[in-house]
Amino acid sequence: MKLFWFEIYKTFSRWRTYISFGFIALIVILTEVVMKLSANEILYRMLRSLEKDFLIFGNVLNGWFVTAFIMNSLHFHIPFLITLVAGDIVSSEATSGTVRFLLMRPPSRSRIIMAKYLTTLFYTTGLVIFLGLICVSLGLILFGNGDLIMNYQVPTIRIAFVPEADVPIRMLLAFAAAVWSMTVVASLAFLFSTLAENSIGPIIGTMAIVIVFFVVGNFPFDFFRTLSPYLFTTYMIFWQRFLDNPIPWQEIAKSAAVLGFHSVGLFLIAFAVFNRKDIKS
Amino acid sequence: MAGILFLLSAKLIQAQEDAFRYLDLIEKKYSGLKDYMADVNVHFDIEALKAPDMQAKLYFKSPDKMKVDSKRIFFFPKEGGFFNPFQFQKKNFEARVVEHLIYDGRKAVKLKLTPINIDTFNKGSVLTIDVDRNVIREIKILPSEGREITAVIAYGFFDGFDLPVHIKLQLDIPPSEPGGAKEFQFGQGGKRISGKVEITYSNYKVNSGLSDEIFAEKEFPGSRTRPR
Repeated sequence: MKLFWFEIYKTFSRWRTYISFGFIALIVILTEVVMKLSANEILYRMLRSLEKDFLIFGNVLNGWFVTAFIMNSLHFHIPFLITLVAGDIVSSEATSGTVRFLLMRPPSRSRIIMAKYLTTLFYTTGLVIFLGLICVSLGLILFGNGDLIMNYQVPTIRIAFVPEADVPIRMLLAFAAAVWSMTVVASLAFLFSTLAENSIGPIIGTMAIVIVFFVVGNFPFDFFRTLSPYLFTTYMIFWQRFLDNPIPWQEIAKSAAVLGFHSVGLFLIAFAVFNRKDIKS
Repeated sequence: MAGILFLLSAKLIQAQEDAFRYLDLIEKKYSGLKDYMADVNVHFDIEALKAPDMQAKLYFKSPDKMKVDSKRIFFFPKEGGFFNPFQFQKKNFEARVVEHLIYDGRKAVKLKLTPINIDTFNKGSVLTIDVDRNVIREIKILPSEGREITAVIAYGFFDGFDLPVHIKLQLDIPPSEPGGAKEFQFGQGGKRISGKVEITYSNYKVNSGLSDEIFAEKEFPGSRTRPR
């Protein structure tokens, strides 16, 4: 535990750790202010299909909707921000030449790698929670409260409606699922970090895999569709399912299990690699 | 030849006059209806729209003002879900009697209304009118842009007027065209959206003197409030 807090202290003593939090704050503030200023245009674009058949009343563009809208960016910028720390946490010791000093200390390699991994998870969780807090608080201030309507593309294109009273708990579950999804990205970057001697490689390597998997998984061709179930990125959007009506628990359990399996697997490989690594510098 | 044409046009005018007679009787029956407000519950049974029941207060002022007041998000069918006895005005439609029939055990007549304005979104309607009570029991909106909507209306008696207590809408509408990423899409590919919407009206207050201010349009960012 002491080792864990020591790693936390080291990680949060670096200014680069805070780049991610600053970047998220900037993106969320910019997005929400622009959405507020362009509310009528956004509503028109969102609802023009529905408005052919229904009159729509009430606060559609509310804080919860805006939060769900921004959460969709989890695919792209959050993985990158996670890799900034996760891809650096082990490799930076090699870059700065401190790894041998670290391993000369009494704690075993297993305990060191475990502490670093837990720190990575702590940072990942903190980042997603920060995103959630800033999205929801600013969203509710700027756009107010209301029911949440979501548009789903799978398995059929449809609109789901979550009553206002249910939204906070659903959103909490969605953010917990988002943390779980991002843990895979963190574990992948962490594995690359144990393999590399510098920080750039793990960051670029992780992002390359995430982007390629996302692109391949979303190509509208049968060949790529058959590949899709084997890509972890396919399951990373399972947080959205907590905002469906009714909640598809079986599908959520499957996605959570696949992602958990990936995280554990990637960590175990990193654990084995680090324990067997021949440290020369 | 001219004689035949004259007879045909006379027959047509006669048919139109008969059709309008039924609409006039409805208008006359509701001439004392200045306004009403009621609680509305909408129940959706549509695969592509997963929503719980929605509640709102609906205000109507003759001849055509309507307002829905809901603190929460409320979807209300654009066609067939709202009762306005003055919506079928002579000046807007051509009308003809399609058939006389027994509807729900009562004498009824079926009228076909065709809008005079060809630009109108609505391609016309077929109304089934209970001729004893002078109420519209069924409205079939004729296909326009691929939409087919049928409304079956059940009435209750409130403060001297027959007003709807239950409207059952059968929808059969084409899927929305794929739009931008932000756009809410409704239905998949070429598959049509079919389903039912049941609207229940209760707690009527009739002729309570609703002011025009209630119907004033309020629109603010983040919300849709569109009185008609």
